[in-house]
Amino acid sequence: MGTERGYIPVQPVPIPMARNAASAQDQAAGGSTVEETTADGLAVEETTADGSTTDGSTADPALVVDGVSKRYGTGEGSVLAVDDVSLTVERGAVVGLLGPNGAGKTTLIKSILGTVLPDAGTIRLFGTDVRADRRAAYADVDAMLEGARNDYWRLTVRENLRYFATIGGVDPDSVAARHDRLLDRLGLADEADTPVRDLSRGMKQKVSLASVLAGGASLVFLDEPTLGLDVESARVLRREIRRLAREEGLTVLLSTHDMPTVEAVCDRVVLLADGRIVADDAPNALLSAAGRGVTRVASPDLDHSVVAALRDRFSVEVVDRPDASGSDGRAVVEVDASGDDLYALLDVLREQRVTPTEVRTVTPDLEDVFLDITDGGQSR
Amino acid sequence: MTEDHVSARSAADADPRPATRWHLLRAVLVREFLITVRYPANAIGGIVVAVFFFGVLFYGGTLLAGRALADSLSGIVVGYFLWTLSVGAYSSISNDVGSEVQWGTLERHVTTPFGFTPVALIKGVAKVIRTFLTSAVVLAVMLLLTGTRLALDPITVVVIAGLAVTSVLGLGFAAGGLTVLYKRVGTWLNLLQFGFVVLVSAPVFDAPWLRVLPLAHGSALLQRAMVDGVRLWQFSLGDLALLVAVAGVYLAGGYAVFHYATRRARRLGVLGDY
Repeated sequence: MGTERGYIPVQPVPIPMARNAASAQDQAAGGSTVEETTADGLAVEETTADGSTTDGSTADPALVVDGVSKRYGTGEGSVLAVDDVSLTVERGAVVGLLGPNGAGKTTLIKSILGTVLPDAGTIRLFGTDVRADRRAAYADVDAMLEGARNDYWRLTVRENLRYFATIGGVDPDSVAARHDRLLDRLGLADEADTPVRDLSRGMKQKVSLASVLAGGASLVFLDEPTLGLDVESARVLRREIRRLAREEGLTVLLSTHDMPTVEAVCDRVVLLADGRIVADDAPNALLSAAGRGVTRVASPDLDHSVVAALRDRFSVEVVDRPDASGSDGRAVVEVDASGDDLYALLDVLREQRVTPTEVRTVTPDLEDVFLDITDGGQSR
Repeated sequence: MTEDHVSARSAADADPRPATRWHLLRAVLVREFLITVRYPANAIGGIVVAVFFFGVLFYGGTLLAGRALADSLSGIVVGYFLWTLSVGAYSSISNDVGSEVQWGTLERHVTTPFGFTPVALIKGVAKVIRTFLTSAVVLAVMLLLTGTRLALDPITVVVIAGLAVTSVLGLGFAAGGLTVLYKRVGTWLNLLQFGFVVLVSAPVFDAPWLRVLPLAHGSALLQRAMVDGVRLWQFSLGDLALLVAVAGVYLAGGYAVFHYATRRARRLGVLGDY
């Protein structure tokens, strides 16, 4: 796999489809929705490319980033962290922001949040330019930037929720029921009155997320939300993000290296490398563009002549040689063959009198796509 | 916050009401109260250290100066009370900014729809209130220890001392801003608090221009209020106006430095780094 296998990164094009673009405001205005169901069972509402819903009502996208650039330092030692990035996130979308370390993810998010001032470009939140009316722009936005270090450890879980709801502009008494539901769904109900400092790292991470959601913000930025969580906690968190997006129209911009989380919750993936967007599409589209899978064959009979015979028909990569440590005397090759090609592959193996000990189809996942785009698959 | 903002929020909450400045004030004060009550070690430690140093000053001074110290004891007690108040307000503000950076909570206060200015000012008020309470305990212990009697009209003392400390609050904001920008410089800026001794004891009657410095004029008025029993309304309008002006100028100036420093930190991309 890799770019040599013909993977072409897609051009950054916002997906004009949101899971549930109808905000409370839209619904209050009498807007109807056209729902359909995706393969994963999520109800979605169609929106047109200009952000209007199919019933004709219009709603500004949750986020519009237009031509944002940020350079740190000056002269030769300067670093262009974000390079002319444009991005639109519709309401109710869950967008994964991926990229290797230093790709510009954090700088982009902080630029959107205003904690880093970009050198160029405009940022609009729910239609409001952050430079024109900063308070209004951030009225419906919250962020979890520091993982577990994002709230007050000396306060209890519930006290944190109340405090950050207030800071977020909402009377905490009016969202007390929401806090109870959040605590329950995130498995924090029993720890509601426990100081955060007494909780485990994973629990602190969940409190951090709960405090971000405490005020009912419609757009949240989550930086590595599953970092440090055990498998079950990560699953609970993914489920909660999906539920909030589906049922409450929450818009999420998620920065993470956790591919299972991306595959589970994101309906769009934006890949950053060297400060630029190098791919922007739905996960399934990225996987499709990454190409079909390969077939992995293991056998002690895979000598040079067999590999040469295979290479007459297929693209072949030798993964393991018989003399390599841990190879159990077997060679392992990956053959660019799937579907009907599998029969031809088996024919060649039979002709070469190869007795396979393993024949397995390997399909690319998002991690493969990520690596293909960011480093041409060299690290795999 | 406006109703419009809240109406755009999640439909799951039937009636999420907007928070007012009152809610913000309550939230910040409650947070400060809870942390103080739940973790009293810092407050108690500060009181113990302050009383200990006063004890050293008092008993050591008595041994060395004898009767001469007793003649000026009231003034020393008042000056020490104002100094502990100033140090508490200054360090809590400047250190608080550094702590918020470390905790990752500063950025959440920067993006609050209330705007960072009212949040920072309310946090400053909360810190001063807490410092008043701990310094009051120190004052009570000093009075018991020395047998000194002072005029303690609550309104006069709170207003004069509060305005005097407000100028220090401005210095705290400036130091906090520099901490955001240069991080580790905060430790060095704490050394400034020893300079407050000079300001509290500034000879403003001999050199009236010293009154424009933070603390100096307020200290002189507080001495008159607590030692001579002058009530708030018995001070001249000019004295009170100067006290208010000095407080306002230093607070505004300190906040301007803080605002500039945080903006520069945002430009450099170091606001939340530590």
